[in-house]
Amino acid sequence: MTSGTTIATTKERVLLNDEQTVDFIINGYIIVETDFGDEFNRGVFNQLEALPENPGDGILEAIPALGDVYAHPKVAGALASVLGHDYYMYQHRHCHRNMPGTPSQMWHLDGGTGTTERNPEHVRAVLAMYYPQDVAANMGPTALIPGTHLFPSSADRMASYGNFKDQVIATVKAGSVLIIHYDVWHAGTANTSDNVRYMIKFLFNRLSDTTKPSWDYDPKAAAALGDKISIASGAPVTQALAGLEKNRRIKMWNNLAGGVSFPSEYWDRWKGPWPS
Amino acid sequence: MGLRQRLLYLQAKSVSVRSQIIAMALHEPVPDSVTQIEPTGINFPYASAHEAVIDGWRVVSFPSPKESAITDDDLTILGYEFILEKLEQFDD
Repeated sequence: MTSGTTIATTKERVLLNDEQTVDFIINGYIIVETDFGDEFNRGVFNQLEALPENPGDGILEAIPALGDVYAHPKVAGALASVLGHDYYMYQHRHCHRNMPGTPSQMWHLDGGTGTTERNPEHVRAVLAMYYPQDVAANMGPTALIPGTHLFPSSADRMASYGNFKDQVIATVKAGSVLIIHYDVWHAGTANTSDNVRYMIKFLFNRLSDTTKPSWDYDPKAAAALGDKISIASGAPVTQALAGLEKNRRIKMWNNLAGGVSFPSEYWDRWKGPWPS
Repeated sequence: MGLRQRLLYLQAKSVSVRSQIIAMALHEPVPDSVTQIEPTGINFPYASAHEAVIDGWRVVSFPSPKESAITDDDLTILGYEFILEKLEQFDD
C-alpha cells in the first residue's frame, strides 16, 4: 500500500463513454480540455514563473490551484473511468520547466516511484499532465507513441529509436490535461521557441480492482466496438506482436470492466464481394 | 577533410529489406549534429531499407527474426532494426 491523497470532488464527474474508453485502451492516452478560462491558466503560469526554486513534490502546496485542475469534472471523470472511482493522487508530482533551447528527451517510460509494476493488461496508474499555456510545436510539446502501453520496454532498449511515423505530438490548448497510461512510450521534445513551456505532471493510481465498469457503460454501444478493439491500428507492431496486441486490449477491457467481459462475437470477415 | 560515416537506423515491420519503415534516426558525423524527436513534421526519405540502398546507403547490420518480440524480461522491442552507412566527404 502506498500513501497518497484521495481525490474528492463535489461536482459530478464527466465519465468517458464506451468508445472513449476503447480509444484509451487502444492508444493509451486521452487529451481532456477543461473550461478554465485564461485568467485561471495565466494565474497558474504566473505563479510558476515566480517560484524561486523547483518545489518538487511540494508543487501542489506551492500552487494550490493545481488541485482544481485535477478535481475538474472532466479530468476526475476520465481518471475515474480508467482507474475506478476510488483512485488516488500519488505523493510524487513534478513541474517540468522546459526552457528555450532545451533538446528533446529520449523515448522512455517513467519509473522509480515504486508505485507500479508494468502491466500491459490493466490500468494501474496514469500520468496526468496539465499545460497552463498553449503549447505550439516549437515549444517542446510532449511526444508519445500510441499503443505502446501494451508493450513496455526500457530506456536502454529504446536508445536507437528516433522518430516514429505514427508518433503523436501533443500540441494543446491552455488548460488541457494529457492523461496517459503509465507505460506509454513518451518524451519531451526540443523547445526551439523563445518561450518557457510548463507541464505539471501528477500521478494517479488505482486503489482497487473494479467489479463493474467505472465509465459510462452501455452494453449495446460496447458490443458495436468489437471490430475497433480487434483491428484498429495502435502501436507500430510487427506481425509477430499483432496477435498479442489484440489479446492485451481485450484483457485490459475485461480488467477495467470487472465482471463484464468484452462482448466479442465471431464474424466472417471474408464474406462479401470478390476483389475487383 | 576526409571520408566520414553517416549512420542511418531504420526500424522496419519485418526482416525484409523491402519491409515498411516504422521509425528512423539519422546520425551525421559532425560535432554539433543532433538526432532527436522532431515535433514540427517528420521527413521519412525512404519507405524501406531497399529504397535507402538504392540511394547509396550500405547495410552494415541486418536484423534477426528474434529481435522484435517479447524478451526474457518481458520487455518489447518494436520493429526490426537495419543499420546503414554512407561514406561521404565532410569539410570542417
